[in-house]
Amino acid sequence: MKRDLNHPPLPDKPTLWRSLSELEKSPGFEQVLLREFPRGADVYQDSGLSKRDFMKLMGASIALAGVGGMAGCRRPEAYLVPFTKGAEWTIPGKFLYYATSMPLREGAMPLVATTVDGRPTKLEGNPLHPASTGATDAFSQASVLDLYDPQRSKQILENGQPTTPEAFAAFVADLAAKKPGGIAILAERKNSPTRERMRGLLEASYPGLLWSEFEPLGASQQRKAIAACFAEGVRLVPKFERADVVLALDSDFLSTSDYGTAYAAGFYTRRNPDQKGAPMNRLYVVENHYTPTGGIADHRLRAKADVIGEVARRLAVRVAAKSSSASLAAVLGACPTADVALDDAWIDACADDLAKNAGRSIITVGVQQPPWVQALVFSINEALGNHGTTILAAETGARPAASIVDLAKAIGAGQVQTLIILGGNPAYNAPADLDFASLLGKVPVVVRLGLFEDETSRLSRWSLPAAHYLETWGDVRAFDGTYSSIQPMVLPLWGGMSELDLCSMLLGQPVSEGPQLVQQTFAALTGATLNPPVVPPLEVPPFAQENANVQWNTFLRDGFLADSAFPLVRPAFNPSGAASLFASATPVKADAIELVFLQSSSVDDGRYACNSWLLETPDFETKVTWDNVALVSPATAKALGIRFNNYSPIYEVPLAFNKLTSDENLHTDTDFDIVADIVEISAGGKSIRAAALVAPGHADGSVSIALGYGRKGVSALLDGVGFDAYPLRESTSPRFRSGVEVKPTGETYALARTQEAKSMHGRDLVREGTLARYAEDPKFPQTMGMDGHIPPNLSLYTNPTLTSKEQWGMAIDLNTCTGCNACVVACQAENNVPVVGKDQVRKNREMAWIRIDRYFAGDPEDPEMLAQAIMCQHCENAPCETVCPVNATVHSEDGLNLMAYNRCIGTRYCANNCPWKVRRFNFFDYNQRPLEELYWGPLAKKGMADSLKMSKNPNVTVRMRGVMEKCTFCIQRIEEAKISRLVEAGPRNSEEFPIKEFKVACQQACPSNSIVFGDIKKEGSRVSRLQKSDRGYTMFKYVNASPRVTYLARIKNPNPAMPRADRVGMANGDPHGSHGSSHSTPGSAEPHKEGAHH
Amino acid sequence: MANFFPKWSNQLPWKLAVMGAVVGAILVLGITYYFTPKYTRVGYQPTQPVPFSHVIHVQQLGMDCRYCHTFVEVASHSNIPSTQSCMGCHTQIKATSPKLEAVRAAWNGGAGDGPPVNWVRIHRVPDYTYFNHAVHVNRGVSCFSCHGAVNGMQVVYQHEPQSMAWCLDCHRAPENFLRPPGEIYNMDWKPESAQAQLDLGRKFKEEWNVNPPVTCGGCHR
Repeated sequence: MKRDLNHPPLPDKPTLWRSLSELEKSPGFEQVLLREFPRGADVYQDSGLSKRDFMKLMGASIALAGVGGMAGCRRPEAYLVPFTKGAEWTIPGKFLYYATSMPLREGAMPLVATTVDGRPTKLEGNPLHPASTGATDAFSQASVLDLYDPQRSKQILENGQPTTPEAFAAFVADLAAKKPGGIAILAERKNSPTRERMRGLLEASYPGLLWSEFEPLGASQQRKAIAACFAEGVRLVPKFERADVVLALDSDFLSTSDYGTAYAAGFYTRRNPDQKGAPMNRLYVVENHYTPTGGIADHRLRAKADVIGEVARRLAVRVAAKSSSASLAAVLGACPTADVALDDAWIDACADDLAKNAGRSIITVGVQQPPWVQALVFSINEALGNHGTTILAAETGARPAASIVDLAKAIGAGQVQTLIILGGNPAYNAPADLDFASLLGKVPVVVRLGLFEDETSRLSRWSLPAAHYLETWGDVRAFDGTYSSIQPMVLPLWGGMSELDLCSMLLGQPVSEGPQLVQQTFAALTGATLNPPVVPPLEVPPFAQENANVQWNTFLRDGFLADSAFPLVRPAFNPSGAASLFASATPVKADAIELVFLQSSSVDDGRYACNSWLLETPDFETKVTWDNVALVSPATAKALGIRFNNYSPIYEVPLAFNKLTSDENLHTDTDFDIVADIVEISAGGKSIRAAALVAPGHADGSVSIALGYGRKGVSALLDGVGFDAYPLRESTSPRFRSGVEVKPTGETYALARTQEAKSMHGRDLVREGTLARYAEDPKFPQTMGMDGHIPPNLSLYTNPTLTSKEQWGMAIDLNTCTGCNACVVACQAENNVPVVGKDQVRKNREMAWIRIDRYFAGDPEDPEMLAQAIMCQHCENAPCETVCPVNATVHSEDGLNLMAYNRCIGTRYCANNCPWKVRRFNFFDYNQRPLEELYWGPLAKKGMADSLKMSKNPNVTVRMRGVMEKCTFCIQRIEEAKISRLVEAGPRNSEEFPIKEFKVACQQACPSNSIVFGDIKKEGSRVSRLQKSDRGYTMFKYVNASPRVTYLARIKNPNPAMPRADRVGMANGDPHGSHGSSHSTPGSAEPHKEGAHH
Repeated sequence: MANFFPKWSNQLPWKLAVMGAVVGAILVLGITYYFTPKYTRVGYQPTQPVPFSHVIHVQQLGMDCRYCHTFVEVASHSNIPSTQSCMGCHTQIKATSPKLEAVRAAWNGGAGDGPPVNWVRIHRVPDYTYFNHAVHVNRGVSCFSCHGAVNGMQVVYQHEPQSMAWCLDCHRAPENFLRPPGEIYNMDWKPESAQAQLDLGRKFKEEWNVNPPVTCGGCHR
């Protein structure tokens, strides 16, 4: 008997929605939704060549080729080229792993680099390192691509003309001999003790040397506040594992790369509703736009960035009343007040909760908020007794450096004759009020060391190629102060020099080829005298710990020096110092629109603007690739006249990525696409243009824009990608600019978003509930929606034979997944996933094997945001396998859904039949052809840049055109583990040798350990425990595909005293209504037949 | 009305059918024979830059495979020896032989910075196939099974087709090839009889739990 499995009826307003247009159910959106690929995706518009024309042309070409004969039947001759001398520890075909660190502005990312024949291919977190315990982020995962970027600066230029290294050496030797005055150095912030030592030496030998440091997204505001409130050279170290209640004020502390990984271990262990003994923490967030941290908050308040200070003040008033702290009252007496409308009930209830948990709470504030706001927050923490309990202080001992403002003053006064710029790109990203580009013209000689030839190097006399951190020796202190090593994985590919090399040259010393400079620092630090470096022994004998060389080798092997963290101190809080900062507070303009400058989740402050992996990684919230956008709230958009159901004829973004055309030839009633209005944002006589996107959950009266885009003349690839917001950013207020004018220009802009066209129609995909509901009904995630009453399985199919002892599976904890994209980029690096370009992303042809789906739930103005990582679910009854005509996708006995590329003929039936839409098709030879020549067919240039070939993982096939691909569960790592087991067993029973623990790429990268992979049949393995968890559910259970990926429902911990607390954790609807909004029984009204959406 | 078709055309259909069958059969047989690795690859014997003889080194001098192919037991690749390995002996023996000119050029008097020796590759699986030497030699598969009697080759040539079907012949029935662990690198070892091989192979397969993968993922990643 045929069974009807009816789809749950769609509610008029779905509770789980992904974009405003879906919520609006406009006909244009329906059009976009129902097509897997947009209309016109099969037509190349420049020539009007349709697929049919193309087939005719190709047929003719093939016929002609046949006449040409059978040349090329023989395989081409290939060569095996052995080493002339064996390289130490190198075994052809085996990976070598080295510990190293990626320097960051406030710390370091401890890494383990995988190298193949002497070239790094993949970076993973260093699990031994105390500062990160193995966590990474998207930036560090992608940084390996920068190493191989063919656009890197490759030669020394003098006045734009290539010159020889000798010419530059002669120039520096002259400087070093004369040691003239008027030298200034502008460096990026880096916590490198060796560079600090070189700085001291330079300052001692050059009279009046000005050492300045600049970071566009640095923590200089916070350092200023700490210096006033505590002492110079102190860093606050929040201990989230000790906090029951956390309040983040404009602070995305979980995803900012400098801190996120350092905080991850502490925060996420307390975010677990199943942990015995430690109650789940509660997170309050006040912010103007959605951040990953805001997404997992229990209570979130939308507030403009310029009223954060006022929020903190009202909080302080309530806390002061509760705690009767004299110092807080004193500070409040001096605090400026602002008359703005805020949700006082929210603030009061939050303050009550903090006061109730005094000494067990943490308030963090964004590092770029003005110093007086920071000082106010420190005062509250002090009043709550958090300092010394949940917030410790470490003494960094860092000497303060001059700021870029000081440098600009010196240049303006004509005191700088030679400016040496170590990294950074001040001509592009310095505060606009300094007009740094024209200041550079006033300096007679500018020397610039940089990875790329960019805005600054064009204004410099000398442009020097810098060495990537994977090419140099160095050292760095991690966030907690642990002394960490930077080892070169490869010699500089293009002869770049490091900062330390340049400093050596300036001191008149010969450039050291090895780690001598770092060794000197190391020796000073450990008090050991190092002999000239010896060949490191493979094993460190325990009795030789005294030996300094052994200590050095241990340092290199582990990547850090044990017990070298900053000493913890307990500096006294100085209320008058805090109060002294209030004078600098600027009055809040309550009804004026503010512009908030964000760290881009793709390019940081612009430093990764050439990194195509990151550019194509969708922003965690907007899912925009290749661009940045100005975010506004729905209400503000309405008030400003920014359209948000903006359908226009399909825009072609041809060839070059962002050259916008307004070709309206294709306009028909059905050719819709979503475009954004371009707005002009102006303040103080300057203006920028940006595409505006309506963002749910954004604060009203506020516009947010990510920095780092809109570069000009850097490369053909990047010209005009996104919009540059730096022209409106001033040195006094790096976080926001109050009182800007925003007006639509009437023009529109095509965006490439990975989100809209793959909607899942309001089914219970992400499931969430509250802690109370979880306690009452622990299995609620498993009975949500249809899952509570699926009839028994009557499948006609027999399951594939899963005979292997190991059965691979995965569990993803949605409670801790913030959507930070680390897994997405890690997967791209591990699995040789190509980049397709903006034009192709607009046709939904992105290739990423993992995507993060992001949903909004609830009130469109102030919804909850949920993230869900989706990859191939490796279904036991995989729908893709049954439709493949050539058996290219089949099941293995250990439960993997395999993809045999060499069998695939590209019918794409499997992708059509996949309920998760995780299969990716190579429409073009993305690896072999330039992205701007994809449509040229055989006329396009063929081949990959040599340096990019070096970045590929040799254990994963590089796929060609016409082939389907998808997540393999990192089968290369699984096979490697299985093979190692067999090699170890040798002529013995392999059953007696267990498979060694290994991690898949996304799992390794995840800072919150939300992704767990392993053998689900192994008793006691973490993945098998999680898969059996009460919170565990599989998606689309009623389809009976039996996926191997289990999701763990998100549990929120709301405070019942808060306003709107009853709306927290209700993404799937109110449990006390029916079973949820997607409730349905077979045969109920308005059935949507299953399959109608495929 | 005259006939449109001449009389001989009555014979045409069956003549065409027979012709078609013959041509078809020739095509099928021809492709089966000439277009498969059994024909296209077996016997491939390119001229190498150095006339290295396995007969001299293995058969006459008795060197073990692993003396030069050092990492075959631990790595997926069975490495071609580095110039250093060659020069370990050839700085003393045949130190001036003109046949070793290319090796000496690469060695460059010990500096090792000369142009490396470009050995012509003979055995080659496709890029999407990941073969692992270590797991085979550690689990009872001899070099001989895939490379033939290399010890008797003056100039190395491909002895086996190394096609997927050929791989699967062994993966489906490893008992026909498994050897005692001590005889892996003995190229002259022969089972006493086919039955003796089968008995031995079945025993090893049972004892060692040899279970070669036959799903795509075993070799294709």
